[in-house]
Amino acid sequence: MTLFKKSALALSLSVGLALSCVVQAESIAIIHATVHTATEQGVLTDATVVIEDGTIVAINPASPTADTVIDAKGAILTPGFIASMNDLGLVEIGAVASSRDAYEKEADVIFDPSLAYNPKASTVPLARKGGITRNVVSSGGGEGIFAGQTFTVDLSGDWDSILAANTGLVVALGAKEEGSRAAGMQQLIHKLEDAKKAQAKKSKAKKTADDDSDVPSREDDIINAVLAGEKPLIIAVDRASDILHLIKLKQDLSIDLVLVNAADAVLVADKLAQANIPVVIDSMRNLPESFDSLHNSLENAGKLAKAGVKVAIALPGDSHGIYALRFSAGNAVANGMNYEDALASVTANVADIFHLDSGRIAVGKPADLVLWSGDPFEFSSKVQKMWIAGEEQSTDSRQDKLRDRYLQKTAMPEAYSR
Amino acid sequence: MAKLMPSLVAVALSTAIAGCSPAEQQDPKITINANPYPSTYQILPNSTTLLKNAIVLTGTGERIDDADVLIKDGKISAVGQQLSAEGAVVVDAKGKWITPGIIDVHSHLGVYPSPNAESHNDGNEMTNPVTAEVWAEHRVWPQDPGFNRAREGGITTLQILPGSANLIGGRGVTLKNVPATTMQAMKFPAAPYGLKMACGENPKSLYGSRNELPMTRMGNMAGYRTAFIQATEYKRAWDKYDADYAAGKNPVAPKRDLMKDTLKGVLEGDILIHNHCYKAEEMAMMIDLGKEFGYHAGTFHHAVEAYKIADLLAENGNCAAMWPDWWGFKLEAYDMVLENVAMVDAVKNSCAVVHSDSGVTIQRLNQETAKIMNNANDNGFDLKAEHVIGWITANAAKSLGISDKTGSLEKGKNADVVVWNTNPFSVYAQAEQVFIDGAKVYDRQDPTYQAQSDFMLGQQ
Repeated sequence: MTLFKKSALALSLSVGLALSCVVQAESIAIIHATVHTATEQGVLTDATVVIEDGTIVAINPASPTADTVIDAKGAILTPGFIASMNDLGLVEIGAVASSRDAYEKEADVIFDPSLAYNPKASTVPLARKGGITRNVVSSGGGEGIFAGQTFTVDLSGDWDSILAANTGLVVALGAKEEGSRAAGMQQLIHKLEDAKKAQAKKSKAKKTADDDSDVPSREDDIINAVLAGEKPLIIAVDRASDILHLIKLKQDLSIDLVLVNAADAVLVADKLAQANIPVVIDSMRNLPESFDSLHNSLENAGKLAKAGVKVAIALPGDSHGIYALRFSAGNAVANGMNYEDALASVTANVADIFHLDSGRIAVGKPADLVLWSGDPFEFSSKVQKMWIAGEEQSTDSRQDKLRDRYLQKTAMPEAYSR
Repeated sequence: MAKLMPSLVAVALSTAIAGCSPAEQQDPKITINANPYPSTYQILPNSTTLLKNAIVLTGTGERIDDADVLIKDGKISAVGQQLSAEGAVVVDAKGKWITPGIIDVHSHLGVYPSPNAESHNDGNEMTNPVTAEVWAEHRVWPQDPGFNRAREGGITTLQILPGSANLIGGRGVTLKNVPATTMQAMKFPAAPYGLKMACGENPKSLYGSRNELPMTRMGNMAGYRTAFIQATEYKRAWDKYDADYAAGKNPVAPKRDLMKDTLKGVLEGDILIHNHCYKAEEMAMMIDLGKEFGYHAGTFHHAVEAYKIADLLAENGNCAAMWPDWWGFKLEAYDMVLENVAMVDAVKNSCAVVHSDSGVTIQRLNQETAKIMNNANDNGFDLKAEHVIGWITANAAKSLGISDKTGSLEKGKNADVVVWNTNPFSVYAQAEQVFIDGAKVYDRQDPTYQAQSDFMLGQQ
């Protein structure tokens, strides 16, 4: 059994490599496109985008040359959408314990869920149907406040689709099943403050004794990277009183703080904008699910953006439905968000918040692109073509195969059709 | 002699009666009150209203452009072009779309309300796999803020069901989505009760983990059958009592059993089955179970695999209530296809319904329907707005047994109406005005028609 699995894996790997070699070599020009750049350039009409070796190499060049020319006929080209803070590739079926790796009781600062990522999960092709080309994966947390670290994947489903591991430290604060929320907040503040003190002490000691025998622990490395602002500290929290403590924490320590969920963010939107703290929200959340989230509203995404807060729209948690991310953006528009803000909230803003190099159509950016049949936020539109790092992707999924099998009418049982 | 007289008389009397009329004194007839918690619903203040020049989807498959809808005395009075009515409140609906009020056949608003809290978890009586004796209406919290959010999404009627932990979870209740302080004031008059049943993983995993029946899907079937055997005997006892009484005898009424009262109502066709059941092979089994005991298997909810047995469902007159895209949270929800509803719908005499089971998506059943229509049309179907609106109106009303009252814009039906700012199957669609029985219950532009629950009032 073990042998069989290994050889099957090796075969897929070699096929994948062969394909990517062929495709990588060619250049593609997409002409006559309506390009939503998600940059200051805004929307370019009748534009040309040239990609080569996985990168956007030219926009509206004088004389485009490419191996393949695709006439978009005015269709909309956007950056590939970026989903975030979900368990993509960590869970096949929520209720099947042996198929899930998102929750870890003992998750801590160093917990690295990327080691459990399965690029062949059946959730990945379905997500591509939504024009999603990258994803920031988070664990589902554990018993403590630390939920380990995020990692970034592309949605090619290839074996090498993890782009970066250990990219941000995730913390869950706020209401608890048992005990006081104060304990969690205190634990986080102390962890950071104590590490800061230890750094100061150490640098003083070094000056006097030049003692470098003290190797920092794995946890110290991560906390120090957070303190240096190199690694975002991503905090899931809802209530405004908690958010205010975190704003102060950011001001005191100059960390790169990101809020997730943040139902009450709208109450302190000006403060968040001033402190340059971005918010990752589920724009469809509008029920007072708990006493921490009495201010959920369909209008929150738009209100935060108007207040100057950098907003990313996400479907946090379960990843089976993340293909619908674009509809969340559309609903945000329907409830007051500016269209280009909404587009940025699933592209450029997500990239900025999680330190990705994608999310924009600009020269030098990875060619993560989606050509749409219409307005990307509308139900009536679909992905016409999509590329991840210049490589064209299929949106076919297991769901399509099941549909086709049962739409066929043959004399033999469905099991005989592919 | 004198002492003997009365008994002689009695004997004579009884002999006489045995021949042609009652032989013994009858005790008062025992009957079970079928409606002990009656609706007190009152139509809210309303006036004759004429909605002008809209695109109207009637719910019966028709689309009429530049059409008017006339609402009078709480009913649809006319749908057509160039209507007029003296004294009517006229609403200029040019560029707007009008549909029947949206109906959700599967909601837990009020029984699992917001905020989510231990004290609010009243949807599953998880103390026995068969709890046909519990009624969802006995725990509907009318102040659940979710009712208001749902109304803002065009929901005018909804069925509140118990959860799916049990094989037979209890009675569901159909409500009109009006703000009220009691359940009775929301209760849809003369709507039949539903009975929640559940197949598959939920009952077997819950009771199996306690080392109780059911631990397996075999145990699930054994559990339903045992319950319906008991119900059949109970019904037979009552039928005999009724027959004997009618024949002039003075039978002793069977001992009342609340659980079996409900199952007897199912056997008599008064209570409609609403069966949480994902998988094709299990739905097929539940159809046969109904035949075994002489009741109709009703509507299958969460029917993720309905597309595999679309013909069987239509042949047996079963509605299937489905999501567009929920899957993967359980193994029994693994074989989702985005075109499921369209594939069920494509069969003659089908009854495809889109449901929510969610306080979030109940607010956008129009969008849930749009997902399906567009995915299907991308894959060989040719579905139109005027057809698919039926999945969340007319077909839903049929599933709930209220299609003679609501679910379409036909003359004489309850004036449950939604005015949309645009095509309701656009992501940018908003319900602008909502009417229940001709009374305006929501207006997106007018805060005086925007209800807020007691719970949300004054929160800061």
